[in-house]
Amino acid sequence: MDCKIPAIGIASSNIVHYATGYVQKYQTGMPIRYVSVPFPFTGQPRAVDVGYVTGKDMLTGQPMMTAIVKALTDPLTAEEKVAGSSPEAEAEPRFLDPMSEANLRQLFEDREWTDFNSIVLPTEKLVTEMLKGTSRKPSEMVKTINITGGARELTVEKVAISAVMAGASPEQFPVILALATQAPFGNSTSSMANMVVISGPIRHELKFNCGTNAMGPYNRSNAVVGRAFCLLSKTAGDLRNNVNAWETLGNTMQYNSQCFGENEEALPEGWDPMHVEMGFKPTDNVVSVGTGWSSVASVGASQAIYPTHQLMRDYMSSFCASGSAATIVMDPTVAGLLKGVHGFKTKADLSQWFSENVTKRNDSYWGNGVIQSTAVPFALAGVEPYASWRKLPDDALIKPFTNPKAIHVVVAGGKVQTMWFVTDFGFRRGVKIDDWA
Amino acid sequence: MDRRRMLALLGLSPTLVAGSPAYARTSPRPGTEGSSATKDASRELITVMNPAIAGKMATRVPLVPPLDALDNKTIYLVNLSWEGPDAANYFYEAMTEWLQKRYTGVKTVVKVTAEGMFGSDPAIIKDVKASKADAAIVGVAG
Repeated sequence: MDCKIPAIGIASSNIVHYATGYVQKYQTGMPIRYVSVPFPFTGQPRAVDVGYVTGKDMLTGQPMMTAIVKALTDPLTAEEKVAGSSPEAEAEPRFLDPMSEANLRQLFEDREWTDFNSIVLPTEKLVTEMLKGTSRKPSEMVKTINITGGARELTVEKVAISAVMAGASPEQFPVILALATQAPFGNSTSSMANMVVISGPIRHELKFNCGTNAMGPYNRSNAVVGRAFCLLSKTAGDLRNNVNAWETLGNTMQYNSQCFGENEEALPEGWDPMHVEMGFKPTDNVVSVGTGWSSVASVGASQAIYPTHQLMRDYMSSFCASGSAATIVMDPTVAGLLKGVHGFKTKADLSQWFSENVTKRNDSYWGNGVIQSTAVPFALAGVEPYASWRKLPDDALIKPFTNPKAIHVVVAGGKVQTMWFVTDFGFRRGVKIDDWA
Repeated sequence: MDRRRMLALLGLSPTLVAGSPAYARTSPRPGTEGSSATKDASRELITVMNPAIAGKMATRVPLVPPLDALDNKTIYLVNLSWEGPDAANYFYEAMTEWLQKRYTGVKTVVKVTAEGMFGSDPAIIKDVKASKADAAIVGVAG
């Protein structure tokens, strides 16, 4: 971009702190001038936002418009004229200074490399042992992490360090490497989280839990692999609280990203495993990562008085439907009911039904901040259906899940109760685990 | 021995004084000086690998010279649609009124970015390259 005009930014103080700190250091290199409005800015009555113009700049305490005019007209400082040569990257040695175990544990917490649960300290011997779980070279690049800037080069060895810290075994390492290609985990002020689904024969080889308590703290592989995703996201992404991790509430699902296996053996006939629906072979071992925010449970067993898929539909209407994304996780008994009693011969049939039957009030759809941020630009550009929806009355009902292929169905659980979760997690295509063996 | 059991045991073993001294740092890690991390130095020392990855610093880009004054200038008020376009529009309307009362011939043009808060806008870039704007105010985020 070659736009040679003075430009300033206006943001609330939390954003300014990030923009003039981490973003300037690792992404833009430009000491952009900012003025700051109080937070929250959006969602306020018109009079409040208008009042900020005659209020104070939160950074300098000057009248807001005085600060804006000064930002546009004040002469450049020496710092603002610095060009070219980038400072040297901050060194990160391969090994840390020798320390006592207690001091190392304190250091790992001080640097925010852990989830603040106890870790296995990554000695060279343990990391070397972990690396035996793959044919990949330690120096091989898995991906460049640039989500919050810094272009950090995530190597196989760095993933192995996080895997050791999480308590993983070398046999689990290819799963964690495949997962690392999707790192870091969701990081947004809106407090995102992830869902990790394991598919294929490896579920049994590594003893992932697909049955009773599949999503609970009752299985080592589910816990450890999911936790490794958290730890490598934090270390590789350099994610630190109030530095470049700005999830206002955070999300407890981030601790192990809801890692579980699909109960493929319990699928009704005609219902394909998740990875097969993504185009993989049934014998492929695949890890899939979804990103979202929310999960709503059936809170009890399915009832004949109100068919299960209709209750799912009702609950789904509370989601924002960003990207038309949803994922329904259901016990095998629910899948059996939906096929046997209600006639959904495939997962795709059920997804199609949701797409056609979930409705939402128009004002409720546009009342969501993520939709405002992502769909309004489409609407203003005339992209349908958003352009037409913007013109509808508030109480008009729209069908926000426009893409049935973005609605995933995963079957897990132990046939203990006919329960389910509807969630707003959207999945990217899975990653073949065997490519990382 | 079961591998998981072995890993758990090795993780706590004082026999794992591993790693090459050639790689070891000679100065304290930032943030550990004087902290509780340094109070336990009498215990046996062990060496572990560093999970952190060095970040590449961005190349420094200088600001362009500021305006000498706002009179007779065209200022683009770029609305990022942060959580929706309404709030910034309210703010920019009031800002326009304020500027026009105080600066002769100042002109403001509100532009809502086509790609929202995460994207760019080729049309705005094109305008700037065509010298249609003298300055830009971008926001409002928060």
